[in-house]
Amino acid sequence: MNKNFILYAVILIFGLAAPFLFPAFKVQLSILCVLIVLATTWNIQGGEMGYNSFGNILFYGLGMYLCASVQVGMFFPLAEWTESGGEKTFVHTPTQFFQGMAVGLVVAAIVPTIVAGLIGYSILGLRGHYFAICTLGLGVAAGEISGGIEIIGAGQGFTTPPFPNVGSLEARGEFFYFLSFFTLVLTFIAVRSIYSTRFKLILNAIRDNEDKAEAMGIETMKYKIIGWMISAFFCGLAGGIMGGLVGYIDSTDVAFDGREMGVFMVLMAILGGKGTLWGPIIGATIFHIFKEGFWTFFLGWQYVALGVLIVVIVIYFPEGIMGWLREKYPERFGEVVDEKDRKAQVELK
Amino acid sequence: MRLNKIILSFVSALVILFSTSVASLAKVVGDKIILGAAISLTGKYSSNGVHTQNGYNMAVDRINSMGGVKVGGKTYKFDIIYYDDESNPKRAAQLAERLISQDGVEFMLGPYSSGLTKAIAPVTEKYGVPMVEANGASRSLFTKGYKYLFAVLAPANLYLDVAIETAVELNGGKPVRIAQAFEQDAFSQDVRLGILDAAERTGSKIIIDDKLPKELNDMAATLVKVKQMKPDVLVVSGHTKGALTAIRQIAEMKVDVPMLAMTHCDAAKLSKQHGKNSQYALCASQWHKSLTYKDDFFKDGMTYAADFEKEFGYDPPYQSAESSAALLVFKDAFERANSFDQKKVRDALAATNMQTFYGNIKFAPGGQNVDKPMVLFQVMCDASGSCENKVVAPLKWASAKLIHPIPKWSER
Repeated sequence: MNKNFILYAVILIFGLAAPFLFPAFKVQLSILCVLIVLATTWNIQGGEMGYNSFGNILFYGLGMYLCASVQVGMFFPLAEWTESGGEKTFVHTPTQFFQGMAVGLVVAAIVPTIVAGLIGYSILGLRGHYFAICTLGLGVAAGEISGGIEIIGAGQGFTTPPFPNVGSLEARGEFFYFLSFFTLVLTFIAVRSIYSTRFKLILNAIRDNEDKAEAMGIETMKYKIIGWMISAFFCGLAGGIMGGLVGYIDSTDVAFDGREMGVFMVLMAILGGKGTLWGPIIGATIFHIFKEGFWTFFLGWQYVALGVLIVVIVIYFPEGIMGWLREKYPERFGEVVDEKDRKAQVELK
Repeated sequence: MRLNKIILSFVSALVILFSTSVASLAKVVGDKIILGAAISLTGKYSSNGVHTQNGYNMAVDRINSMGGVKVGGKTYKFDIIYYDDESNPKRAAQLAERLISQDGVEFMLGPYSSGLTKAIAPVTEKYGVPMVEANGASRSLFTKGYKYLFAVLAPANLYLDVAIETAVELNGGKPVRIAQAFEQDAFSQDVRLGILDAAERTGSKIIIDDKLPKELNDMAATLVKVKQMKPDVLVVSGHTKGALTAIRQIAEMKVDVPMLAMTHCDAAKLSKQHGKNSQYALCASQWHKSLTYKDDFFKDGMTYAADFEKEFGYDPPYQSAESSAALLVFKDAFERANSFDQKKVRDALAATNMQTFYGNIKFAPGGQNVDKPMVLFQVMCDASGSCENKVVAPLKWASAKLIHPIPKWSER
């Protein structure tokens, strides 16, 4: 416990100091935090519950649009803001900006949670590939639909309120970094505490054998929906922050970006090791650094490299980095290994 | 818990990695003025991204070889740092941030497409980095009050309204029936708004108003409707892919329509790729090589086109020409500002009033170029099947007469 405390303290201090240690990397670090949140929450379905969801991007995009709409709509007419030919220029005062952002983020977290509950009720009865394909459709449909809604800019896209002038140029980067870091910490604490309860065991039971779990008297549907709602809450929050950070929302390329973000969150969780607490975090970090590195030094090859990375993971680390470590050094993960048993198994082989 | 050790060493590895990779360049190093640009080298805009990059490179080489930029009695040469934005606005915004805060770039060139420019503009604006862009035409870029954004091109809503006016004129001043299909993106939707304005002005009626998905490769549904409803004008806009798809399917389905107005015909190399099938298509263009504008670096459009063809092996689309013009604007502004102070350069840019081979350039307070009209050209083919784009409007530059109405497929 003591050692754990030191570990968390070190990471927390590192997280708080990061924007000052690497001032030029604030945006990348903020995005890293968002990626970790997405991977960690995807892991609740994909890793712990065994439901491969490609639909979490729906909540992310929803959060993004909601946060920006609320932030604008609280003070100015939204339709005039998003109208392309509009001649008027609206400028948020700092108070308006931060108030709008705060309310926007609350809405961005709550509405997707409710949506997850409603959708979950109707589609979480599907299993396996059927569930995966169905959720894949959700993201695509949302992208096309939102691209036709005039009040949020439709195909024109939605420019989020520019960050107000509050003195220093660094303020925007720092604001968004701490916002995303705080969300990351919140997500981690929430997920960690959930994983220490019976809830996680129920999710695992669903993953291992849903029918058996049901036969044992577990209301699997209820837990599946709750699990998805938890993911939606944090995905929405992450989306809201990302919208402000990017500054421009496009229906299919930024908000309901199933092709990139939607796939990345799955990839990161698998890379790090799904079904573990730290796996998605490590996976997201390595993935982000890897991709950014290739972007900088081998321009044009980043997706080739990404493909190779995926192949390597699937062949050599099918359980992800954490899974591989766990297999190699089970005792370091606090698993008791019976030497006699291991020997017996080796002999059997 | 040895696991902790693993994670701790991981964190410290991160620290080392980040701290060693901070390498900052300055905006002006030695005799080089370093400009930054995020360009779509991959993704859905990759072909136009390359046109843009070729245009930039062409101008950099030309200006450098002809004496460079003279500021404060010293001669400087241009250099550009490129990143690939993958045709993704999220990526573009990130790269702008990176060019400015990590690479120390203090002057930017624009990306390709309105959507990506929309994503980058808030970032350059925040840092007060002057950006001359050549490929973001959406009107909404110029109504946000941006002070550091300058576009050498005419806004998107002006692209095709000339076509509607011409159609009305040819119809004896009577309103026409318009069918239109536009891609769901910032640029095409703005072209659509321009058509709506023109329709209202002329009392014309819009009988089909379709939205097409991004990554456009099928518009058969719209064309079936066009066949049924027989409009007077069909307007299509969806970047390069939109132009290619429209011509391919119109020819396949033998859709007869008196006037076909589009964008991006030259970027899509329609006359080369589809030959006679693309004949009679009317295209909005920011520039055409036959226009008679002049400057000291590229002389005129014809010379530019010949030089470009020699270097890159194809006829320059207007995307390349306007990109080259962006550098001429920067050069001019640096020399007039006689300084590398961002504010002074910004003010010099705002006061730009010059002629380039691409057209006159003068910026409105919103940043758009107000001194350069759009031109319309028509794809015309001779008997041997070789096709060419010829300017048909405005009349001042017309090198051929508009063929109207388009002959039916059965008569071709």
